[in-house]
Amino acid sequence: MSTLKLGLAYGLLSTRRRAGALVLPVVTTATGAFLLVLVLGMASGISSQAAALGHADEIERAVVLIAVTVLLVGVVEVAVSTTRTVVHRTRELGVLSATGVPRPPVVAALLVEPVIASVVGALVGSVLAVGVAAVLGATGAAASGVSAGGITGGVVLAVVVSAVAALATSIVPTWRAASRPPIRSLSSGV
Amino acid sequence: MAATTLGETSNASLGRPPEIEAAASGLRNSTMVRLLRFALANIRRRPERFVLAVFGIALAILSVTVVRTISSSFAITGSDSVARVLDGASLWAVPAGGVHYDSDVGAIVADGPAPDVALPDGWTGARTIAGVWASDAGDVAVYGSDAVDDGTAVLGAAAAETLGVSSGDTLEFGGSELSVAVDGDDGVLAVPEDVAADVVGDEGWWTLTEPEAMAGRNDLGAVIAAETGMPSTTNPAVQPEAGGDGLIYDAVGGSGATTFEQKFSALFSGQVTSSAFGLISIIGLLLGFVIAISSFLAAVQERRREFGIMASIGLADEVLYFFLVESALVFLSAWLLGITFAGIAVWLVVPQIATPVAWLAASATVAAYLPAMAIVGALVPVHRLLQQRPVQLLGDTA
Repeated sequence: MSTLKLGLAYGLLSTRRRAGALVLPVVTTATGAFLLVLVLGMASGISSQAAALGHADEIERAVVLIAVTVLLVGVVEVAVSTTRTVVHRTRELGVLSATGVPRPPVVAALLVEPVIASVVGALVGSVLAVGVAAVLGATGAAASGVSAGGITGGVVLAVVVSAVAALATSIVPTWRAASRPPIRSLSSGV
Repeated sequence: MAATTLGETSNASLGRPPEIEAAASGLRNSTMVRLLRFALANIRRRPERFVLAVFGIALAILSVTVVRTISSSFAITGSDSVARVLDGASLWAVPAGGVHYDSDVGAIVADGPAPDVALPDGWTGARTIAGVWASDAGDVAVYGSDAVDDGTAVLGAAAAETLGVSSGDTLEFGGSELSVAVDGDDGVLAVPEDVAADVVGDEGWWTLTEPEAMAGRNDLGAVIAAETGMPSTTNPAVQPEAGGDGLIYDAVGGSGATTFEQKFSALFSGQVTSSAFGLISIIGLLLGFVIAISSFLAAVQERRREFGIMASIGLADEVLYFFLVESALVFLSAWLLGITFAGIAVWLVVPQIATPVAWLAASATVAAYLPAMAIVGALVPVHRLLQQRPVQLLGDTA
């Protein structure tokens, strides 16, 4: 347990060091979260727009599906960024393995970065969406109003989906990296 | 002699003829096959990144394909509904109140009484009463015209399903008992004009057909407008002037490449693609493109030395080809996965709207974007790489 804590602390320090590399995944996740929160917050307006097209219930379901899909697209960039991180830190991982650090704390350390990137991205997108929704609601631009319950549900959904999806998509590259023999990591790392 | 013959026989049966061998060798060594093998080897080197890039782009393609499928379905609905109205006529005179597609009944209905049209000699016109009948079983579109025999009701399959009748049944409609015939699959109940007028009033339109001598002309709208004084247009987006005499839509005129039905259906699909829906899916596609670029930039960064070696022996252009082939593989795989996901998604989420034809049309539309995305996705990272001299690439440690 203590080794896992040390792994997480090590991952946190590494994430601070590599903050610049997290900008793109944070932006893509924030874009997806922004759209999802806004769609759920303004569901009634979208329903009325869908009603004009006919098949209102189905269109509304499709809008939510697409908003969640776009959030997932944003989160996949977090995993792509993780593969980049793993390659950059191959020698470092080799050193950790060679000095006897077991695999679980190494994997935990590598997973800190995608989780932080996805959660920060989801929160940034949610905050922006809440701000935009508030402005739209105050100015009357959103004719059907903004639902506080929808916004809250959207924020929770965005954060949970982002964190779970980032973990799910990042676990394989980090596990593979932590499983390489130290000699290979030390000799082939960039 | 016998041994030679045996040897020749053995060669012929066990080995391949020289022509086939030469062709196979050529195939193995062709540039394209080599590029493909090189690309596959690189994909095997970082399989997780390939999978992630394909998955991310596939999700983006899924979102666009779902929206395009719905939009194509609406377009097909619009095209079918206006074709049902025109029924081969060239001109469509609508009331000043206009017409609209009623999504509840699945047909175009009129928003005012059919306009008064004084037809010039030689022209023929058919008035259609078009409204909605609120029956006990549900709302149904009613088209009344003289083309329907007295005592008969011709229903599309959707209308028959709503009313719970089938061919040979008797339908009680506004005090009349009509013999039911099911034809087609739309949601329209076609009855004689006077019977329809008793139930839905005099709301409707005229469809006009030109004299035989004028067949094939593309200025029929202008001709009839000059004769009747009613305005005409070839653009279905134009609405009649409120309080005016009505408007004549010219379904065969104009100089554009698109037909009136296509323009009319574009109004339907445009409602989807220009809504919040369309906007979100386009943002999704842009994010997918960002993933592709990001993935290729990472690959370029990690393979600088390799490309430095190639550039130093004069193979700089080949680097671009490597990336183009890799990019093509990524986007092709993502497209196949994305349209499959989209097919499953529309089948589960919007089964009432989407049709296989609309899904295929949407998949083809999305495929049209991909070559440009694949080429730009490969060019951007390679351009950055080729800006540098080989010695810089070889000296860097990434």
